[in-house]
Order: sequence, then structure tokens, then C-alpha cells
Amino acid sequence: MANNKTNNKSGVNIGKMLMQSWSRYSYVFVLLIILIVYAVTINAGGNNFNSRHITGILSSQNTVIVGTIAIGMALVIITGQIDLSVGSALVLCTGVTILVYNMTNGNVFLMILTALAAGLLCGLINGLLVGLAKMPPFIVTLGTMLIYRSLTLSFVREIDPAYTGSSSSQFSMLSDMASYDFLRMKFGTGSLKIGNIQLPYITFLFVALTIFFIFMMSKTKFGKSIYAVGSNEKTSHLTGISVQWVKVSVFVITGLLVGVASFIQACKIGNVTPASSGTSYEMYAIAAVVLGGVNMAGGRGKILGVFFGALSYTTINLIIVSIPQLSTDIQDTFQGIVLIAVIFIQTVGPVIREKFVELRKRAQNTDK
Amino acid sequence: MNNILEMRNITKAFGGVQALTNVHLEVAEGEIHALMGENGAGKSTLMNILTGVVPMDAGKIVFDKKTYVHPTIRQMEAAGIAFVHQEINVINDLMVYENIFLNREIQNKWHVLEKKRMIRETEELFERLGVKIDPMQMVSELKTSEKQLLEICRSLHANAKLLILDEPTTALSNEEISHLFGILKKMKQEGTSFIFISHKMPEIFEIADRYTVFRNGWFVSSGPISETTPQKMTTDMIGVEYAEKDVYHPRKLGDIVLRLNRLSGHGFSDVDLEVRKGEIVAFTGLAGCGASELMQTMFGVLPIENGFVEVAGKKINGRIYQFMRNRVAMLPSNRKENSVIPDMTILENMQIAEHRLSRKKPVIFRREEEKKYEELKEMLHIKAEDPDAPINSLSGGNQQKVFLAKWLNTDADVLLFDNPTQGVDVGAKAEIYQLILEFAEEGKTVLINTLEIPEIKKVSDRCVVFYEGRVAKVFEHEEIDEKTVMMYSTNAVKAAGGNKNGK
Repeated sequence: MANNKTNNKSGVNIGKMLMQSWSRYSYVFVLLIILIVYAVTINAGGNNFNSRHITGILSSQNTVIVGTIAIGMALVIITGQIDLSVGSALVLCTGVTILVYNMTNGNVFLMILTALAAGLLCGLINGLLVGLAKMPPFIVTLGTMLIYRSLTLSFVREIDPAYTGSSSSQFSMLSDMASYDFLRMKFGTGSLKIGNIQLPYITFLFVALTIFFIFMMSKTKFGKSIYAVGSNEKTSHLTGISVQWVKVSVFVITGLLVGVASFIQACKIGNVTPASSGTSYEMYAIAAVVLGGVNMAGGRGKILGVFFGALSYTTINLIIVSIPQLSTDIQDTFQGIVLIAVIFIQTVGPVIREKFVELRKRAQNTDK
Repeated sequence: MNNILEMRNITKAFGGVQALTNVHLEVAEGEIHALMGENGAGKSTLMNILTGVVPMDAGKIVFDKKTYVHPTIRQMEAAGIAFVHQEINVINDLMVYENIFLNREIQNKWHVLEKKRMIRETEELFERLGVKIDPMQMVSELKTSEKQLLEICRSLHANAKLLILDEPTTALSNEEISHLFGILKKMKQEGTSFIFISHKMPEIFEIADRYTVFRNGWFVSSGPISETTPQKMTTDMIGVEYAEKDVYHPRKLGDIVLRLNRLSGHGFSDVDLEVRKGEIVAFTGLAGCGASELMQTMFGVLPIENGFVEVAGKKINGRIYQFMRNRVAMLPSNRKENSVIPDMTILENMQIAEHRLSRKKPVIFRREEEKKYEELKEMLHIKAEDPDAPINSLSGGNQQKVFLAKWLNTDADVLLFDNPTQGVDVGAKAEIYQLILEFAEEGKTVLINTLEIPEIKKVSDRCVVFYEGRVAKVFEHEEIDEKTVMMYSTNAVKAAGGNKNGK
């Protein structure tokens, strides 16, 4: 009898622990489930799921470029705002970065500086309009989304192809520069081999950024103020936090990350097409953030989650690509369905759990 | 005169708390009936029962010769009861006449609105009542007093026979009040009845015909207004004083640390005050008397319009951060809205203000914070297990103690507490006041804004009473007496004086 009781108790505890870790690390479980589906589809196609596929996930531009932007997007969303301009800003920044690279004879230092400065400027414009002028972020960044892209589109046609590096309305890195091989072949597309697994260099950059922002959000006072503003703006104000500057700063940080992403884009892809590159990246970044368990209402979310969210998002894409019967046109449909399903679990899950708790309480009461 | 409304033996409990016990209310046809009582006396519960918002546990309502035991909102509306809330409830983006006809629009047989007819009817209604508002004006352009009149007119247009007015004059100037009263008198003559809820004694004695007083959910007294006095009514409201253990004892006060010089701001003006180190000063007055706004101005939340605030000999003007750096802290009223950061843990909520002051050292050291947390937890007797538990897992009283800790953690010397015992239970209340005394003992200067006069009596060295944005009276500790303070905060002193002059 006594044994029975303890068994019962430990069973409840394991269930509780699972429940807790699910709600705390749901983004890890989401990735695991998606990875399993990916492995199953690869095997069903007659291939073996192996480390090459993992490398593929880690080096995909959906991981490193969208993921880098998604970190910034997460900060913006945690403060309860949104930034729709990141895709366009990426195109603008990459264009300017490649232009400077081509014009300065392949000066890597100036190239990086340009990428960061252009990103910072794009973010600062959003930030000042939203934070200081107190305009709604949705509208402001919708506006700058249109502006940034159309600016890039219009000036790519005006500039001498000798500088843009291409005659087809595109910015392309000139391959005859001294630093080209290092940037493109080594850093942009190369990888480090550890045992059997190839780890792309750019992935290390993404991991380093993730670690830095995990530290910033959980171990610094600035990070806490970002959460505070998103959770309760009024209290934050009454606690002396400068709410408007926190809002400006998350947009500026997002801009800087877009700058980093544009440097990655230049090194990895080598070119950018203003008419088509980076379209819908803002939506992909938001998807990664949501898959990472960040609350769209603000105040809650982890950067580690965004890291996993970016990987999940990439994997979903790869699953669809790996099924030959599916055309790439249907890709967005599946992405949309998975996204809605994940959010559905996030929002409806707690409601169902509450109902269960209530039912159990009622049952206990009637027992008495 | 016939009674239009009789509420008999109404009883209501929320959970285990008895809100109303066997109370009566009778309102005659064509009279203005004042419903009186302190906050928590049960007035709003009774009104919510009358309008069908809250079901009663026992009792019955007879309205317009019909008996109701389980009234619904719709039934009572149809029967002709309208509630004009303190917060004005009109739609700013519509025109005046559209508001009057909201949800009762006149249509022709093609379901097209008959605009002209509605405007004409609005004009007729306004003319009858002596209201001077253009039916075609946008409501957003109206003054507060006009919006209030509009809401009253709307209820009347819906054939309301009984209007409940909940503190209708708080946002109005004296001139606007007399205009409103003129209209009420006219409506009264046409046979409309009113239940008038207000804390301002002079008004009650000017406009009301009869009164009913509640205290702690019990019926206390009722009768014609001409047979009572403001003093008697105040005693009815607060009850005969009950003896309690006095924890207060005089302390030695230090130098002046806080000085307000002819300070004016939103909702208050020309406040002069000097407070010494270690002193406890209470602000009190009715809702809207300006004391809360004054406190917010002393912390940079609201701007200073005139005069200055001096802390430790230094004039401070600027934003909240400036005041925090000069060792001022404010615990705001309305905990849920202004103090709680719901997505954060107990520890994070406790540290967030200190973070702001120590931001030159940007990195958080967990071990130091935990040490601080344990110290403050011990000092304030906070009942919490895990510092990483969400703040909302604590009871109201414990949450409030966490926020006291949050501000103590900033090493502030001047502590401003705006309604610190709001929404905490009786036990926690006593503890919070005990803590306030301890802070003062340690040399902190404490200012409390509260409506609870017995609490003031327990802790404060002085009590400043506000009436309509000005200091009505300052009492020393020995002089603080619930009845006298109440008389000054309702301006009953003036009303009593006026009566005498009249006679």
C-alpha cells in the first residue's frame, strides 16, 4: 500500500517535470520534432540522414542571415513592438557594403564598418520615429520597408557597373580583389571540420552573437530594462527607466544586427539583387522568433529560444525542399501551417492545462 | 409621495466577505436621494444589484410597482433605471445627437437613418432641460461638464425614471456644478428621481431632499436632509470611534529635508510644506483632491507648474530619474497597473529600480542580489519561498512588501507612499503601517497619501487635509480625529458655517 503511494507520487513528479520543461524549453522540443520529421522524409526518399544534413541546416542562409536578424527582431518584439523593415534594410545595407568593397579595392575593414554604419542608420531612423516621435512601430517600419528597398532599387541602376560589380541591376563583389578569396571561399562558404561534422565559419559568428545576446538579456541591467518595458511600460516609467530610449535602442541594435547580416550575405552569397533578395525576411524573422517561444505581446522570451527557432525554421524549409513531389511554390503554405500550429499550441495549451487543473480540483472536492 | 423604488432586506456576500447585510433604500418619486457612506460601505454593491450587474443573495426590489428578485441588466434598463458612472461613457467620435440616439436610431422603412428627425428631437430635449449644446457638434469637442450633461440627457431620452449619479461633480467647476444642479431640479419637477452619490457635504445639503447612510455594509440612518447636520451625517458614516492599541510614540525629528514652496501642478496649487528627517506626514482628502497628483509631482511623474521642490537643500526639477538620484522614492497607487511587472520574478521586481541607479555597473551579480533579497525579505517579513517565482504568485500584501523593498533597495531617504494599503488585507495593512513606523525610526522621511483616517491616526506625526487642490488644514498628531478630518476633507466645515449664516 505504502509502496503504491510513493510510486504514484514519483509518477506525478515526472509528469510535472516533463510539463515544466515542456513549457520552459518548448523551442527545443519543437526543433526535435521537426528534426525527426526531416530525418523520416530523408530516409523515405531513399537517402540516409547524416551529418551533411546537419551541416546543411547550420550553414543555410535561413539560419545565419535570418537568424541574426531574428535576434534583433526578438528584442523589438520583447519590448512589445515590431520591425517590418529588416528585409529591405538588409538589401540596402548589403548593397552599400558591396559598393564600398568594390570602390575601396577590397578593404575588409571599411567594408565591415560600412555594413554596421548603414545598419545602425536604418535602425536609428526607425527608433527615433517610434521611440521619440511616438509613432506606431507597425506603420513606421512599413514605411521604411518601402523606402529602403525602393532606394536601393533606384540607385543600383544609376551607378556605374564598374562599381556595382554587375550590369544586371545587382550589387556583386568583384572577384579580382585581393581579399575576395578569403572573404568568399574561406569565411563565407568554408567550414571547420571537427570529426565527421563540417561546421561552417559563419555559423560560429551566429553562435557568438547568440551567446552575447543571451548574456546581455539575462545578466545585464540593460537587458532587464528591455523585458520590463515590454511587460509593463507604465511601471518601467515610474521606476525611472527611460522607456523611449529603451525603444530607440532595440531598433538600433536590430539595425546593427542587420548590418552584420548584410556582411554575412556579402561573404556567403557574394551579391544582392534589390528586386528580389531579402523579400519577406521580416516575416521569416518573426516566424523564427515565434517558433523560439517569444511572446508576441512582449515582456517574455529567450534569445536561446530564437536560436532554436531559427534552426527549426530552416529545417521546415529543408523538409519541403527534400520532397521532390512538392514544388517550391507550396513552400510558404507549409511554413504558414507549421507556424499557426506552433502558436496554436502556445496559446491554447495553457487554457487546456488550466481546465485540467480545475477539473482535478473539482474531483478532489467531491471526493471529500 | 409615492415611492418609486424600495429595496428591502438586501444581503450580499462576496466569497466570505459580507458586503451588504439587510439594508434598505427607499426613493420617492421626483426626489433627489443622497446615498452616503465611506469607501467600502457598500454603496456601489447596492447600485450594482439595483442595475442587475450583481445578483443579490437575499431581499427584493420593488421598482415602479413591479417586484424583482433576480433582476437582469436588460430588465432594469427597460424598467427605466439608468446609471451615470463617474467615468463618462460617451462616444467621442460621434456627434451629440448620434450619442443621444445610440442603439435607438430612428430609421425609415428602407432602414435609412432619419437624421433630421433625430436632430430635431435632440433640440427639443435640450430646450426642455435648458441644456445649451449643439446637437451637430462632435462629442470630442465638448467640455467634460457638457459630456456629463449629454450622458444624463441620453438616459432621460431613453425614458429613465430613476437616474443613479455616481459622484457626478468631481470633474466639474463650481459654475458647471450649479448649472448641472439647475437642470437636475428641472428634471425633478418633471417627475424624474435621482440617487445621488457624492462625498462632498456642501453639495448634498444643497441639492438632496432625503438621505440614506451605510457603514460597513449596514444600514445606519435615513431621513429628510433638513433634519440632519453635516456633523451628524459624518458621525453616521464613520461610526463612533473604537478604541485601539496605539503603536505611535513621538520620535526626535531631524532637520528639514523636504520643502515644498508654493508648489502648483496638475490638480493642486500653492502648497507650502516643510518636512523633517524622520517625520511621517499623511496626506488625505477625497478622490480628486489633488494629494495623489502632488505626490506624483514630487517624484517627477507630473510636471511642476509653479513653485519648487527642495530635497536636502537642493532644488530638484526634472524627470523621475533625477528624483531617484536625489534619494526620493515613490510607491505609486494602483499596484497592478503601476508597480507589478507581471512577466518578471520576485527578485527581478525587487531589483529593477536599483538597476537604474547603478547602471554604470551594467552586469548583474546574482549572488549579491540574492543576499540583498534575503536581507530585505527578513526585514519586511515577506512570505515568499523562491526568489525566482513569478511576482503574481504572491498575495496582494506580500506583493506590496516586495515593492516597498524595491524602493528601500535604492537607499532612498524620502519615501512617498501613494495609497500603500490599497487592496491588501487587514493583517498586511497593520504590518505595512508597523513597517512605516520602523522606517521613520531609522531616519527615513515618509509621506503617505491615504483615505483611511484611522490608519493616519496610528502612524503620522502630522496630517495634511486637501480639498479641491488646496491645503484645507494641517493637524498635529494629537489633533487628528476622524470626524474633524472628515469634516475638512468634505468641506463640511463650510457647509455647516453656511447653514448657520442662513439661519
